[in-house]
Amino acid sequence: MDIFLEALLNIIDPVTLTYMVIGVGAGLMAGSIPGFTIAMAIVLTLPFTFSMPPAQGLATMISVLVGGLSGGLMSGILTGIPGTPSSVATTFDGFPMARNGEPGLALGIGVWSSFCGGIISAVLLVLFAPQLAMVGLEFQPWDFFMLVMFALTVTASLAGEHLVKGLIAGAAGLFIRTVGEDDAVGVGRFDFGSDYLLSGFNFIAVLIGLFAFSQLLSDLRNPVTARNALSDRKQVKVKIEHRRAIGILLKNWVVVIRSALIGMFTGILPGAGGSIANILAYDQAKKAAKDDANFGKGDPRGIIAPETSNNAVEGGALTPLMALGIPGDITAAIMLGALLMHDIVPGPTFIKDEPALAYSIYIAFFLASFIMIGMQSGVLRVFVLVTRIKTYVLATVILTFATIGVFALHNSIEDIWTLFFFGILGFVMRQFGFPLAPMILGVVLGNIAELNLARALAIDADPMLFFVRPWSLFFAIVAVFSMIFPIYQKHRDTGSLLERLFSPMVLLSLSLPLFMMGGFLRTTLAVAAIAVSGFILWRRFGSKSKA
Amino acid sequence: MLASFEIREPDYGVLSPAAWPRLIIIIIGVLSVIYLLQSIGMPKEDKEAAPRKTIGEFILYWRNVIAVFTIFGLYLLVLPYLGMLVGNILFSFILLTVLGGWNSILIHLMLAFGASGGMWLLFTYVLEVFLPRGSLTGL
Repeated sequence: MDIFLEALLNIIDPVTLTYMVIGVGAGLMAGSIPGFTIAMAIVLTLPFTFSMPPAQGLATMISVLVGGLSGGLMSGILTGIPGTPSSVATTFDGFPMARNGEPGLALGIGVWSSFCGGIISAVLLVLFAPQLAMVGLEFQPWDFFMLVMFALTVTASLAGEHLVKGLIAGAAGLFIRTVGEDDAVGVGRFDFGSDYLLSGFNFIAVLIGLFAFSQLLSDLRNPVTARNALSDRKQVKVKIEHRRAIGILLKNWVVVIRSALIGMFTGILPGAGGSIANILAYDQAKKAAKDDANFGKGDPRGIIAPETSNNAVEGGALTPLMALGIPGDITAAIMLGALLMHDIVPGPTFIKDEPALAYSIYIAFFLASFIMIGMQSGVLRVFVLVTRIKTYVLATVILTFATIGVFALHNSIEDIWTLFFFGILGFVMRQFGFPLAPMILGVVLGNIAELNLARALAIDADPMLFFVRPWSLFFAIVAVFSMIFPIYQKHRDTGSLLERLFSPMVLLSLSLPLFMMGGFLRTTLAVAAIAVSGFILWRRFGSKSKA
Repeated sequence: MLASFEIREPDYGVLSPAAWPRLIIIIIGVLSVIYLLQSIGMPKEDKEAAPRKTIGEFILYWRNVIAVFTIFGLYLLVLPYLGMLVGNILFSFILLTVLGGWNSILIHLMLAFGASGGMWLLFTYVLEVFLPRGSLTGL
């Protein structure tokens, strides 16, 4: 109770609250601007939080995140252009509803769905993170190393057909982190006699360069669109219809809960974020609807599903970060960066060792959702006005801000050179279709992977332990199947052998480490996995041969 | 890969400091070969989808990006002499004008002073971050 009070006092401190309000506002603005992603807003917030106490810094970043997740719906509903990839599905029904003369209701449903998604996922985060952390206490260095490999391969596999590019990007991210003094024995690597390189690249500068600088360059590429305003909408005279929206949400509570769970689960998976969750939830809402004729024409369920799920994603992404120290998506990876910046290394003992900070994160998450709904209702016009600013003006101001922010991290001009160099690299990679998410995860998790590899080999030099320890084997199996997944997706609905064997093989393979773990629950799960895979195999092969 | 052989081998620790980066380089190498083979095996139509550009067309197409790179590079070179306040005002003014055209020069000037000056004040006085002064300007 004392710890909870300490955390609460940390967050309701007037300075922290002011930063949170500014953070939510900044997030809402960033989210409402098409082309400016939430991750970019969060990464640009990082330098600001450097001088703050950890709880205050994280609360500010969470506020930007919550605001950003909700900001995308405004431009999506009012202009038909989603502010962020997380709000793509919102436009399917939000824009038609607004065009049909009910923009206030569409916004109301969107805003309240976002709120519900945020609150449900915050509750689930509070419930699940400590449980997952307890499982994480079983992990040894072998398991942590394999967990990082799994996170990287899953993220790379999300690149779909470009799996190889995703893997190259992930490996390049790991390599970037090897520059400088080795964490295990303190030997300099790839420093070429430079003191700056010996201390390693400032990874916040690397993240801002890779993500924000390269994104700005992409936005500025076309000289014509760079001089245009982001939206030609002159005025917004919309009043959000709160009461009607809440009524519709209560009537569709099943859609709300299902979408929140989809968002939460997608968030927990490394690499998968709001951009996937909103489409998945929309698709599920449409499939589950008895009458789906109105979908795409302004059906409220078409707004509820994506907006609830995309806000629920972050609770999911923060769960493995707080419980295991492994981020669930890019924004959580940047949060991990913020924690590392304050010399706090999250892991299974994080919630136990830093309970006040953990509670501060929970409370900030809840509070930010309330601030978000207040600001969305009160100053909606201001946020949409931002979309009238010309792209090149916004990009120049953000670039100037990023420059000062990066310098402020360590008072080092070399960090700005790092920003510049990785900005170019990120831009070139974007142009050649390399996904940046695996690279960013590689940069953030690189030293965790290497340290755990070194620790594992120091305990026992036998490399086979990476494949015979239950958790390590579990993650290795999931990593291998995640790499095969894009090929499986290509062969779906073709009736190929791979399509028929993929899911039973995943279940059968995972049953082995589950058996090895022992205990009633895990053994039962293993038996269930074998039974289900047997049933699928019988359905796909046995019944056909009889026929 | 060559640089990884320059890494000192200490007498302690099981994992050599060169082992991890070398492993990553090998993985990148193998993946690059796969990527190369995939590119070679790509259908001819896909390869010809993007028509070749002359150098002039290339520069015209990428002019904004080249401008940002060049101006940012020059800004970094003169930063120690001009300092962050003057450097940022000049950088943002030149970038705004190059990207947005000469018609709104007054607005660009005001924006450059407002945004860069505002941020300088915020970092210097609110966040108490010491921003670099220029050896020529003293600001």
